[in-house]
Amino acid sequence: MQALETKAIEVTDLTVAYQDKPVLWDIDLDVPPGVLLSIVGPNGAGKTTLIKAILGLVRPAAGNVLIYDKPYEAQRRIVGYVPQRGTVDWDFPTNVLDVVMMGRYGALGWIRRPRKQERALAMNALEKVGMEGYATRQISQLSGGQQQRVFLARALVQDSTVYLMDEPFQGVDATTERAIVDLLQELRENGKTVVVVHHDLQTVTDYFDWVMLLNIRRIASGPVEETFTPENLRQTYGGRIAFIKNE
Amino acid sequence: MENLNILARFDYTLMVVTIGAALLGAVSGSLGTYAVLRRQSLLGDAISHAALPGIAIAFLLTGSKAPLILVLGAAIAGWLGTLLIMSIVRLTRIKYDSALGIVLSTFFGFGLVLHTLIQRTGNANQAGLDTFLFGQAATILASDILTIGVLGGVAIVITFIFWKELKLLVFDEGFAASLGFPLRTLDILLTSLLVIAIVLGLQAVGAVLMSAMLVAPAVAARQWTNKLGLMMFLAACFGALAGVSGAIISSTASRIPTGPTIVLCATVVVGFSIAFASNRGLLWDWIRQKRNRRNLKMTEQP
Amino acid sequence: MLQGQLEIQLIAIVTAVACALPGVFLVLRRMTLMSDAISHAILPGIVLAFFLTESLSSPLLILAAAGTGVLTVVFVELLQRTKLVKEDAAIGLTFPALFSIGVILISRFAGNVHLDMDAVLLGELAYAPLNRLETFGNDLGPVSLYVMGTILLLNLAFILLFYKELKLATFDASLAATLGFAPTLIHYGLMTLVSVTTVGAFDAVGSILVVALIAGPPATAYLMTDRLSRMLLLSAVVGGVNAVSGYWLAFAFDVSIAGSIATVTLLMFGLTFMAVPNRGLIAIARRRACQKWEFAQTMLVIHLFNHEGLPEAEAESEIAHLHEHLRWDPAFATQVVKYALNNRFVLQKETQLTLTQQGRTIAQQALVQ
Repeated sequence: MQALETKAIEVTDLTVAYQDKPVLWDIDLDVPPGVLLSIVGPNGAGKTTLIKAILGLVRPAAGNVLIYDKPYEAQRRIVGYVPQRGTVDWDFPTNVLDVVMMGRYGALGWIRRPRKQERALAMNALEKVGMEGYATRQISQLSGGQQQRVFLARALVQDSTVYLMDEPFQGVDATTERAIVDLLQELRENGKTVVVVHHDLQTVTDYFDWVMLLNIRRIASGPVEETFTPENLRQTYGGRIAFIKNE
Repeated sequence: MENLNILARFDYTLMVVTIGAALLGAVSGSLGTYAVLRRQSLLGDAISHAALPGIAIAFLLTGSKAPLILVLGAAIAGWLGTLLIMSIVRLTRIKYDSALGIVLSTFFGFGLVLHTLIQRTGNANQAGLDTFLFGQAATILASDILTIGVLGGVAIVITFIFWKELKLLVFDEGFAASLGFPLRTLDILLTSLLVIAIVLGLQAVGAVLMSAMLVAPAVAARQWTNKLGLMMFLAACFGALAGVSGAIISSTASRIPTGPTIVLCATVVVGFSIAFASNRGLLWDWIRQKRNRRNLKMTEQP
Repeated sequence: MLQGQLEIQLIAIVTAVACALPGVFLVLRRMTLMSDAISHAILPGIVLAFFLTESLSSPLLILAAAGTGVLTVVFVELLQRTKLVKEDAAIGLTFPALFSIGVILISRFAGNVHLDMDAVLLGELAYAPLNRLETFGNDLGPVSLYVMGTILLLNLAFILLFYKELKLATFDASLAATLGFAPTLIHYGLMTLVSVTTVGAFDAVGSILVVALIAGPPATAYLMTDRLSRMLLLSAVVGGVNAVSGYWLAFAFDVSIAGSIATVTLLMFGLTFMAVPNRGLIAIARRRACQKWEFAQTMLVIHLFNHEGLPEAEAESEIAHLHEHLRWDPAFATQVVKYALNNRFVLQKETQLTLTQQGRTIAQQALVQ
């Protein structure tokens, strides 16, 4: 028997159903520490649901999720989350720095307000995403790419070990995409584990070192060179893969 | 002569009414901020109408017309109405707007049935229903001011205590949940605060116009600022302003009802803000566009 | 049954059906609250027309109300278009303002005239038959029956005439636009109808309860069917049933008729919500209880299927450890295994479970769907 290595994320036999309709069937997923993993699959494959299930935002019908051997509730402080950009109202009356500081709210706990220290951490994170000049900018005045950077900065100030990101490349320009990729790879260099819901099959091999192919069930997961095979893709996307590759 | 007349009318009663209207405006304005930001502007309309059967049942059960008991009944019924709206949306394919419309009108209809029952026993008169529909700002007493001040004050203090949590809930629910904040508890808290603001405000403007008291000050305030705290403060100020000016205007002439006057004052504030607010306002926008066009022309011409 | 009772019920039925028909499209287009806004906002239009004609039954009143109703819709849309105000807030701003103007006009100038607020807000069905249509001394019946009847026919004609366009504009406005069906025109046509219907229904039920007639029956019908044509028919039937039973309830307890109809509307909706086949709460609960075992069994076979032939298969199909893998209660896991064994989807080999060919097929089918 091989030595049991601690896994950053360990999903076992996870089934999630909305009302009567199953959206994830018996998912197993092991993510070793320090990898940059993309979750790939067609629309409605349950990618976002999987992220939400790992975060405990949806209740599974069966199965289990562990983060570094403990349930999520015990590990909140080491998990950072980037929701889809479109899920919030960007006309909300607040500025960039304030949104980034929300990343510290979990560590602050109830009632305590952010102070100088949180402000400094937030500024630091904004610098990392190249947005330090926008700290006092109202969030409705940001472009899509800038909004995404702000969300990333918010996750960075969480100072987590594991990051879960839902479509961080959605609707961003090429420059921002490159900057985000650099950032993700830097996180990995620092030993962080990053899980990204991803849409663009063309860039999987360039950006990521691990991949999970998902379509209601797990088709395959592992290092990109072993897992990202035409056969697995065909199983994930059915006949549609030819069309996608021709694009 | 007319001026003298106004001064003479500015007596103790008017002062009490004005203070009461100002307080109510401030409370509903500041708490309405959250309703507007959560796109629940019309929930206030539903809650205020749904409160009628609560008031009737509270009266039928206790036989008392003490404001606190009736307010409690109103609050419970308003709460139940909200709960029903949420359940309908969650459990069926009926959308939010229809669920709201059904609860609003049918709860009110049931309240009307109860009201006719009470009327038949001779314990109440039509005036009671009119009060509910249009408020009775003109009859606010000093003791009412105490109730409004204490309940409204508590509600506002609660928003200060949970400032960070409520802001996160309204802005990004999913992220709040991932940090471990209990969404349902916070949601219940926020809805309860809204219910408090509404049952208090019913006294001033009544059920039909209550939604304006929640929405108008907040919408006006939003045009002047991009900060949540300042928005809430300005909404409170605008609400109070509408209350004061409505109370004074309606006292200057006979047969101008106070509630609708307050609402119209609030509407004027909104109109002014949308037209002239710095940065966001329409006038500002127009000037900026014009300037941009001129700049464009200038760069085109060598 | 007295003639008066019969007439009241007739008026109630006609009003309810006239409201339910356009209501179907409001519910489907998520615009129910627009009817709430319109029913309040048309007050100043009615008041001004009343000042001009000094009569509450003049056709001018209906025209003025319809105009004000459309104006309300325009106001709300203009406010939204500034991008400074969201839709819900735009509605919440517009109708109280217009309604306030109406109230102030009434109390300031019409204090002594017969136009009181309660009539506008609450209506009084019981008085509806008192106003009669007479020609040359012949009594032709209550005026409001004719008014509402005409409005009902108008609504019916509009819906029959533009059925295809309404359907398309409701489910896919952009497609309707590209096909040249002018969804904006349909939209305003519908809003005009809603305004006319609302003012017609004023006499009977007032401006608050008219929302119950507009939203209640269509929402109830929406729980029963998926088809638009059937939804229209069911809404009309539900509206009529609500009206008649509401009337008799009010008669029995001697309470407000309109309020009673609204109450019955809520009860009917609640009853449907609970008991309708397939979509009702009871049906869902029962199905869930049945499906719990089916679902768990499917989970079990998929679990086995996923690990079949893999190195960890032995550990994953150990009966004693199943509940740990799937996070089930041990007793529940035992039950599920028994259920699946009975159905011959799995076989027990000592302490291990293996899939039968049948079980494998079930797993594959579940994964493919």
